[in-house]
Amino acid sequence: MKYVGDRVAAVVATSFAAAMEAVSLIDVEYEELPALLTTEAALENKEAKIQPRGNLAHEYEVDAGEVPSMADDCIIVESETQTQRTHHGALEPHVCIADYDSSGKLTVWTPTQGVFGVRTVLAELFGLSYSKVRVIKIPTGGSFGGKQEYLFEPVTSFMAMELKRPVKLLLDREECIIHTRVRPAVNTKIKTVVTKSGKLQEFIADSTLDAGAFSGSAPDYARSLSLKVTKLYRIPHYKHTGRAVYTNTVKSGGARGWAAPEIITATEVHMDQVARRLKMDPVEFRLQNLVHPYDMDPVLNLSVGDARVIECLEKGAEAFRWKERFSDCGKDQGRYRRGVGVACGAHKNGMYGGFVDCTSMVLKMNEDGSLNLNASLHDVGCGTTTAMKIIVAEVLDIDPDLITVTEADTELTGYDPGCYGSRVTYNVGACAKETAEILKDKILGRVSFILQKPKEYLKVENGHVVTIGTDQRGISYKEIAEKAVQENYTDLSVAHTYYSPSNPGSYSVQFAEVIVDSATGLTRVTDFLAVGDVGRVLNRGMVEGQFQGAVQMGIGYALCEEVKIDDQGKPVNNSFKKYHMVNAPDMPDVKVLLIEHEGDDGPFGAKSVGEISAVPTAAAVINAVNHALGTSLSELPLTPEKILDAPGTVPGAFLGSKMHRG
Amino acid sequence: MMLIQFKVNGKSYSIDVCPTMRLLDLLRDELGLTGTKEGCAEGECGACTVIIDGEAVNSCLVLASQVRGKEIITVEGLGEDGKLDILQQKFLEHSAVECGFCTPGMLMSAKALLMKNPHPTEEEIRLAIAGNLCRCSGYSQIVAAVKDAAKG
Repeated sequence: MKYVGDRVAAVVATSFAAAMEAVSLIDVEYEELPALLTTEAALENKEAKIQPRGNLAHEYEVDAGEVPSMADDCIIVESETQTQRTHHGALEPHVCIADYDSSGKLTVWTPTQGVFGVRTVLAELFGLSYSKVRVIKIPTGGSFGGKQEYLFEPVTSFMAMELKRPVKLLLDREECIIHTRVRPAVNTKIKTVVTKSGKLQEFIADSTLDAGAFSGSAPDYARSLSLKVTKLYRIPHYKHTGRAVYTNTVKSGGARGWAAPEIITATEVHMDQVARRLKMDPVEFRLQNLVHPYDMDPVLNLSVGDARVIECLEKGAEAFRWKERFSDCGKDQGRYRRGVGVACGAHKNGMYGGFVDCTSMVLKMNEDGSLNLNASLHDVGCGTTTAMKIIVAEVLDIDPDLITVTEADTELTGYDPGCYGSRVTYNVGACAKETAEILKDKILGRVSFILQKPKEYLKVENGHVVTIGTDQRGISYKEIAEKAVQENYTDLSVAHTYYSPSNPGSYSVQFAEVIVDSATGLTRVTDFLAVGDVGRVLNRGMVEGQFQGAVQMGIGYALCEEVKIDDQGKPVNNSFKKYHMVNAPDMPDVKVLLIEHEGDDGPFGAKSVGEISAVPTAAAVINAVNHALGTSLSELPLTPEKILDAPGTVPGAFLGSKMHRG
Repeated sequence: MMLIQFKVNGKSYSIDVCPTMRLLDLLRDELGLTGTKEGCAEGECGACTVIIDGEAVNSCLVLASQVRGKEIITVEGLGEDGKLDILQQKFLEHSAVECGFCTPGMLMSAKALLMKNPHPTEEEIRLAIAGNLCRCSGYSQIVAAVKDAAKG
């Protein structure tokens, strides 16, 4: 075993009770070995190898731009930020069902974010052809990256293949916390060189990511730490070194934002420290350095697209009344200290620039004019299927309720890498739009033939094709589709594969107000504004919900959530009783302001929202706490203990707390 | 085994239950009412909330044998004749459903609140769902939906 929570044995039985009874009869004798629980310990101890190749899972170095000639009027600011391992907290526990039939076909039902990846792993592992492995995505009660990788499909499939019977594996909450994946803990040291007028010259970062006991996605995740900051700031010289390190702890894995919340938290906490050194307003300082539309990201050599982060910051600062509140708060010397904080964040739109990002769909019109979109969707609660309906409905001017959309099934739906990586609305949605446009063209072609009129004279309107410039009712989709089948020996269906041509940034700027109780160390977020540049909004309620939910997650990241491991390597908070997520009474009313535009390649200008919404939240809250207390706290989460132990940078700030504790 | 009689969603049942069976298992496994969800099995997440004699209760913390003679409402008991309950309707209108896993429990906590207090304040709504965790929504739209439902 490499960590507490690692697999020991699997028992299969005819009932859950019998399986649990059998598990209780397994007697395991453990010889305890010294555990390497921190990245420092794992790097220092070269003798004890957690994995055969040693404890360093991956190293990277990114160096972009030129070192500017060091002018005299620069300051150097250094910081260190520690972000912690967290649980994804999807309310639905992990589950999957596998069946192996007499024809030698393996079928797996799983709430995954990527059926084709699971299929590949299963087929390669069991030596089956891809056509004999069918992975079906089932309704999913939240994921946040926690159901992105293959997890329990192999062991469940193995049992089913051995027994030739269906097998179901359902995890309890403790297993979800200690034996699936966690957001990795990351330590980042940043050094910046900034002119006294507030222009960033150099940004040098070094990050160490705790991979846990196995590598999984940790190398990619670690490298992703270096791909965010240059989407956000103009930096003449950017250097980022980093590594992923094995420890004897729970495996890390993909988590909402994939390295952006980690590195942006470190960056934005740092930027506040720079602003403070320069005696500049944090908003004014950032405005001087944020990217402009169509800047080139020097690390990926990609355009950031129509990046509106400056607009987000300017309009957000106005809506939040930043200037006024920033100068009013942070002065309290009593028990309750009020502070405000701001943070900016950047994220991506898909995989373009990394690997080929494509998706395939089939759209057909039935003889009654209704539509079926066959697509490999994985809706994990973000409204993906609804978004696709809205897009197709918009192109064909039809009621979205007349469209049925599939989710992913490796046997029945086209290839798609998976619904993650902020690629879904931007790329999969663009595929839906193009597919609908091709079908529309085909429909217009049929009507052109029927009416003997050029296609250019025709348009779609409310489920009909009408002749432009006339007030005739036109021909309904039902009539067109019926005729196609019955008279023209064809059907109205199209298949299309879409390749993403770009990968612009999505942006969010967030503003938090907190009240810190300096006697108890408890922090309450009392007001919150999330501003987003996610392009054109397709489904306002869902987009606002994505931001509000992201803020719930981000406040937890900033203040209370952490999968803690004790000095014996045992997870301390392995249940919801001990792992606290923010509940309704503790959530502020999160306001959402969207800066809409159509400058990029997504459908109708839409960009990603699910991940970017969660990127700057924690930093905004941390900056607000530091504003309230006059501190530079940067070790997340800011629990009451850490707040009470904070160095008293404000003289007398913690007298009350000491009395309280004493 | 012990024979108990109780009502679920207005229907009477008489069932032999094992003394260690939880109400959650009785509802899901014996009655097939899988709308009630299990998220933590320790009364922290509220996904398994049902209403017993007017009170919102975590069904993972109640033994099946404890519901003898009681009247239970599950999410399947909301709405009638294929028509959604006003709470369900308002959840849809306010985009208060994302992944949907917490939704049945949220609805039942909100329903229990409105049964007792038809015109709750926002604070009362937030307190009523304090035991229902949601990881998707940040609660704003859920609170707005309940408020709107209370208006009628």
